[in-house]
Amino acid sequence: MDTLGYLGQGFGVALSPYNLVTALCGTLIGTVVGLLPGLGPINGVALLIPIAFALGLPPESALILLAAVYLGCEYGGRISSILLNIPGEASTVMTTLDGYPMARKGLAGVALSLSAWSSFIGAFIATCGMVLFAPLLAKWAIAFGPAEYFVLMVFAIVCLGGMAGDRPLKTFIAALIGLFLSSVGIDANSGVYRFTGDNIHLTDGIQFVVLVLGLFSISEILLLLEKTHHGQEAVKATGRMMFNFKEAAAVFVVNIRCGVLGFIMGVLPGAGATLASAVAYMTEKRIAGAKGTFGQGDMRGLAAPETAIGGAACGALVPMLTLGVPGSGTTAVMIGALSLYNITPGPLLFQQQPDIVWGLIASLFVANVMLVILNIPMIRIFTRILAVPNWALVPVIAIITGIGVYAVHATTFDLFLMIGIGIFGYILRKLDFPLSPVLLGFILGGLMEQNLRRALSISNGALEILWSSPITFGCWVLTAIMLLMPLLRIWRKRSVARRAIADV
Amino acid sequence: MLIQRIFASVLLLACIGLALMAWPYQAAFSYEPVGPRAFPLLMLALMGLALLYMVFRPAPIVHSDDDPKLDRETLTKIGICVLLLLVFAGTFEPLGFIVASILIGVPMARLYGGRWLPSAVIISLMAIGLYLLFDKLMDVPLPLGVLDVLEN
Repeated sequence: MDTLGYLGQGFGVALSPYNLVTALCGTLIGTVVGLLPGLGPINGVALLIPIAFALGLPPESALILLAAVYLGCEYGGRISSILLNIPGEASTVMTTLDGYPMARKGLAGVALSLSAWSSFIGAFIATCGMVLFAPLLAKWAIAFGPAEYFVLMVFAIVCLGGMAGDRPLKTFIAALIGLFLSSVGIDANSGVYRFTGDNIHLTDGIQFVVLVLGLFSISEILLLLEKTHHGQEAVKATGRMMFNFKEAAAVFVVNIRCGVLGFIMGVLPGAGATLASAVAYMTEKRIAGAKGTFGQGDMRGLAAPETAIGGAACGALVPMLTLGVPGSGTTAVMIGALSLYNITPGPLLFQQQPDIVWGLIASLFVANVMLVILNIPMIRIFTRILAVPNWALVPVIAIITGIGVYAVHATTFDLFLMIGIGIFGYILRKLDFPLSPVLLGFILGGLMEQNLRRALSISNGALEILWSSPITFGCWVLTAIMLLMPLLRIWRKRSVARRAIADV
Repeated sequence: MLIQRIFASVLLLACIGLALMAWPYQAAFSYEPVGPRAFPLLMLALMGLALLYMVFRPAPIVHSDDDPKLDRETLTKIGICVLLLLVFAGTFEPLGFIVASILIGVPMARLYGGRWLPSAVIISLMAIGLYLLFDKLMDVPLPLGVLDVLEN
């Protein structure tokens, strides 16, 4: 019952007028950012970190702002995928499959509101799950020592590769690049300058915001140059804006199923919204069987991935809040934001700063409700934003990115560093490397090194401490399974191919 | 394939170089068994192994259909764009935010297919608007540079 009391307290924080306005601004900014090509949740949240800091927002409001932007971005991505058939990011690819056909049928408004509703249910289920499980997990996590944390982070990194599927090696390399980059700068334990090349600006290490904006914004700006052809005309959102009761009832079971699925996938490190939406869509397609009209505008095909994304987005906050180990690119950015405020997410956060944790959880509810309500009057304005041409948009994105980077330390060195990282990110992207593992590695790197060194200090250098406790041993077993997964997949693919040849 | 091999080799060389750089990192006096060089060296070693594998067995890149091939024209554009960004970074403080933004924003808009006049108008308005928004409203200090005289 403690939990409910805390939740009530959290709503008290989230429903204070100041935080309500913050959440409203966040959802609006997020939606616009998610709509625009070249900006996604990761750079949206990253751009706001220095601004939230400059505005002097208290930590809980800043976190609420960032969470609202995150949810808003997910929603904005949905608008462009339904009306333009252009998925704003990887996780909304599945939304286009049935969302765009629905819009073509003249049901654009219904598709948008239904997707907002689905995502709301997904987020609702996940938030309930969070309320139930997060305190338990946090209590359990207190048993974690440095060795356990280190192994857990190894597991999280390996999970990324194991779950990402088709390119485990590249994911792994990307994560290692991030892990390595985190060690640049002065070493806190010994005072040794590492990889700074005697550059005074690197003493502090690479700034998180610089890395994120370089990797994601600059590389995207360069990528947009290749696509100078003008996008399709957006489908006009006319007619009925709101779904009716019958339609909501028809997808309700799908919503529940996919919400739970999304939450579970979100909690697992490395899986995240992309995988959740794909699995949800495939599962529902199989369940519907021949009766479904998936791919031609089936409402279930729209509801399934949207619910899963909503669930996964909130589920991803569970490992971030309880363990301090982010599971996705966006939550990694949020950890970066928290560390600016000198808040270390982890089990103790639940005891020491319940206002922040429960205020954040409650504001997720609030932001989700806002998104459903905003959808109806604002959709025409949002569709107009989609018509802004690239030539006006991209330079402005570049300039704002510059402001975001300059705001951190007010040195132009950071601007040059950002451009360098951006070019590197562009090359990585062209070579089909995923970028969010770099980010995750960068965030986890510092924690990983500290925990490793602390653990080995405890054991006085004996490596046994890394696998002697049951938790560490369990984590290693899981890690081994994750490492074997891609190998198994490759092996199975090969044997199928061989059988196909044998049959011919 | 070839590009991937080249990329992996270059990165591999960088790894080796960085590892050599990290080798002498040692704490002058220390109370802990693990020094400052262990973790970066471990990461570099793992990365090196993965890259070595990639040099010999690069994975094919799956291109989606709407992904246009990189031609000379696009590459020049990307080069110009990078150059503009560098000019932006270089002139940000000496010329000030507004002038630097207009200076690189207008050619950049041209690069993305805008026409001269609308680009110039929109970018100039946006540069001034963003300056007022961030510097005056949101307390993010931005340099005024050559426009400093207008301030007082």
